[in-house]
Amino acid sequence: MTRLTDLPPAQAKRLAELECPNFETRPWVTGSALSQRRVAIVSSAGLVVRGEDPFRGRDADYRVIPSTTRPEELLISHISINFDRTGFQEDWNVVFPLDRLRELAAEGAIGSVAQTHYSFMGATDPVQMEPYARELAGRLKQDAVDAVILPPV
Amino acid sequence: MSALGHYLEEEGLATVAISLIRPQTENTKPPRALWVPFELGRPFGPPSEPAFQKRVVLAALRMLERGDGPVVIEDFPDDDPRATQDLTWRPPFTPAAGAAGPADSLAARLEAEVGQLRDAHERWVAQHHRTTVDLSGLPIGECARYVADWLRGKAPPSPREGYSAPLILRFAVDDVKAYCLEAAAAGTAKPSSRQLSDWFWNESAAGAAIYALREVLQASDDDRLKLIVANFMVPAARVRPG
Repeated sequence: MTRLTDLPPAQAKRLAELECPNFETRPWVTGSALSQRRVAIVSSAGLVVRGEDPFRGRDADYRVIPSTTRPEELLISHISINFDRTGFQEDWNVVFPLDRLRELAAEGAIGSVAQTHYSFMGATDPVQMEPYARELAGRLKQDAVDAVILPPV
Repeated sequence: MSALGHYLEEEGLATVAISLIRPQTENTKPPRALWVPFELGRPFGPPSEPAFQKRVVLAALRMLERGDGPVVIEDFPDDDPRATQDLTWRPPFTPAAGAAGPADSLAARLEAEVGQLRDAHERWVAQHHRTTVDLSGLPIGECARYVADWLRGKAPPSPREGYSAPLILRFAVDDVKAYCLEAAAAGTAKPSSRQLSDWFWNESAAGAAIYALREVLQASDDDRLKLIVANFMVPAARVRPG
């Protein structure tokens, strides 16, 4: 069992009560069948391609992960040390399921996989991320993406 | 990160978030989220279990076809099968006993241990075709030396242009942890994350050295360094009281 109740009480309380933005709108975008969708991953795990600039502290911008990136090239530079990294060390799909998306595309369950994926660093204040997220939306649309999966870490 | 879902959806993109902390997701109210009962760090569950991972991915993506939102949260029903212990797993070697000792001695043991783990780490890389070591940009021996020198009280300058010394120290500590944990997991056994982290923090020289580093550097005059060592070296669940 690996639920919040398994964490030390102080950590669980802090995570559960973490301040979240109070949004005034409730956006809801619908689209075609999943088998027609083009899917991108936008992670908040602080992922960075080896050799690129890791996240420093609470950088609010994002890193680019081309779909040609190989598993041995992807690193985690998230500032938090309070999560397991051994799963990612063994298999990047635990955090960044690019292989699974490719399989789903090959099986016809999804339409296609985006050319480029992205990562933020999730410990950053979401309000600071907002302008970067809105700018990223334009890049995703240029890649004809119409479905985004958002894994945390 | 549920807030990202909100911003992207406002820009016209359909999103589905994976949620590891359900109360946070309930507060943020993203358009769609799949809560998963996995530990932090494993949003798609067990490593090397592609069929299981694919079920998680597909359960999330299928939520994009729902028409009854906004704000739908579903729960993934199955636990991570790799969360259970593998009693056949053994650490790569049994280190010298004792998690305490003078800082100089711990620094030397840390450097020696990284050298001892080289064969196991090479087996890991051959087995998985990857390593997650490299945040600092230093070869692992230099990484261990850099951490050890801080423990010896030397306050070594940053070896990398554009990166402060405290930042390189943080990355070097992350690299040492990753190197030791990858080496410890080499082989056919499938240890749980708890088994690996118990070994690292309770038995390894590297874990003992990082504990000591946290103690030593919290007495520093450099507030940025103190902040980093207090919060970003020893996980909250492993900080010892007192």
